[in-house]
Amino acid sequence: MTPFFRKFRVLFSTQFALMTEYRAEIVIWMLSGTLSLVMMLVWMGQAAAAPGGQIRGFSAGDFASYFLATWFVGQLLVVWVAWELDFEVRQGTLSPKLLRPMDPMWGHYSGHVAEKIVRFPIMLVLVSLFAWLAGARFSLDWRVYLAVLGLVMLGFTVRFLWEYSLGLLAFWTESSTSFQEVVWLVYAALGGLFAPLAFYPQWVQDIAVWTPFPYMLGLPAGLIAGKATLEQAGQGALVLIGWLAVFVVVRLWVWRVGLKKYGAVGA
Amino acid sequence: MTSPPPNVAVQVRDLRKSYTVHEKDPGFVGSVRSFFNRKSHEVEAVKGVSFDLAPGEVVGFLGPNGAGKTTTLKMLSGLLHPTGGTARVAGFEPRKRETPFLKQITLVMGQKQQLIWDLPALDSFLVNQAIYEIPEAQYQATMREFTDVLGLEGILKKQVRKLSLGERMKCELAAALLHRPRVLFLDEPTIGLDVNMQESVRAFVRDYNQRFDATVILTSHYMADVTALARRILVIDAGRLVFDGDLASLAEQSSGGKTVRLQLRQPISLAELSRYGNDAKVDGLSAELSVPRSEVSARAARLLADLDVADLTVEDPPIEAVMAELFGSSAPIKQREHEHVAG
Repeated sequence: MTPFFRKFRVLFSTQFALMTEYRAEIVIWMLSGTLSLVMMLVWMGQAAAAPGGQIRGFSAGDFASYFLATWFVGQLLVVWVAWELDFEVRQGTLSPKLLRPMDPMWGHYSGHVAEKIVRFPIMLVLVSLFAWLAGARFSLDWRVYLAVLGLVMLGFTVRFLWEYSLGLLAFWTESSTSFQEVVWLVYAALGGLFAPLAFYPQWVQDIAVWTPFPYMLGLPAGLIAGKATLEQAGQGALVLIGWLAVFVVVRLWVWRVGLKKYGAVGA
Repeated sequence: MTSPPPNVAVQVRDLRKSYTVHEKDPGFVGSVRSFFNRKSHEVEAVKGVSFDLAPGEVVGFLGPNGAGKTTTLKMLSGLLHPTGGTARVAGFEPRKRETPFLKQITLVMGQKQQLIWDLPALDSFLVNQAIYEIPEAQYQATMREFTDVLGLEGILKKQVRKLSLGERMKCELAAALLHRPRVLFLDEPTIGLDVNMQESVRAFVRDYNQRFDATVILTSHYMADVTALARRILVIDAGRLVFDGDLASLAEQSSGGKTVRLQLRQPISLAELSRYGNDAKVDGLSAELSVPRSEVSARAARLLADLDVADLTVEDPPIEAVMAELFGSSAPIKQREHEHVAG
């Protein structure tokens, strides 16, 4: 095992222990992220009232499958690092972490991954329950779930890096979280949280395909709901790898420049 | 900047740090004005500080609040980038935050913590063991020593948030020194602790300094910390170093006199004692008074000749009194030559 992975393993174990301490809070937090479920009910109602019981090829059951899948994938893409960094920079609690010979990013990253593992079993129970209630049906092809796993891992890391870069804006601004909220809106819209991307005007779709959002959220959800193909998953993964490279560089640049601005607030 | 000689652990030359500070008047009108016309000004927190520290040296870094002590320590530990001047610590430029540098230093801030709040301290120690790449045998040996000296037995497996302030500070110290750093920056390490706990922390720092020949810079508002640990004192005021010397020399900067304490065999009136010096106090057969430095010998001789004295001691004024007097004046008092450490 290389020294880096040895360090990451210990960080991960510690963060996992920490997240199990917060398990009740995690469940409550999950239940608060119900936008997908609300959208599911809205679109199911629209489909039921539409002539032929369908809107652009989506029946009420298809909408249930798609939006439950976006809820499931969205839970795995939850990132809160911008809030943590905003607090750490402004309160000066970043200082003890900067004294250690390891980039503080890895502590946050391992914490997020650990939280996903604590969250996952509860997600499975809830999504099964919601699927039974709403009559959703999911793909039975195991290759789909491998592709979803790959897209989610890439998508989560891309989102983590852009949120990290946004959080680091606290080096310059009074509150970096306002930027994060604007970006969340774009992520939700182009990712397909409000409606499948195919429902948007063509010019919006033309813009969206250049962003990472549809490939990290809408595409894996479409795969689970049987509305996307494995070929599309491969193309999406390539786009996400490109964005990953971009955000690795952006995060590093903002970090290096921002540290020079750090005021190490407080005592 | 050329590399410092090998017998210099910390070399600081003309170190400066300025901040931009935004200003806003209070209230609604102030907020509206600030929204359209934000005012700011530059504050020079550190204005050209220079000194050298030898390996193993323990230095008290004193000054009033806002004098620039913590800012200087943060620049020396790599947290802040200096606006000007240079610093080398253990042979490295702190602002680069290179891994070998970070493995040789630590900064303990009495008001900040590195321990994970909701987990036992032992978890934080394991994280530090991994991050600093401390070999298992060394980790176990250090933990045994620290547990013994700091009395950590029984508290390592408790959640940090359930520890008392004193217990937490002991764990913070252990976490900060687990990798056996060679240069320690201690910023108010005993703040808020009771007298016994303060003494434990002092004893631990003294022991660590002697065992590992570590260089220590200590800031504290408790003069007992400084007098117990440091022989050399740096005094910073309004961003400038105003004194660099030993404790005795610092006392000599005081314009006040020395304190003469007497144990008498016969009682004496306050009026009679006052003839020999200022600020006379009498409490039964114990008495004390202040005499000018230049006349200590003559006055002591007179006291011994005139009174029935069982014991007489001459002391410098308390360091607190000297510091209070120093900080009332912003004029530089004494600047020690840098060469004395290197030479």
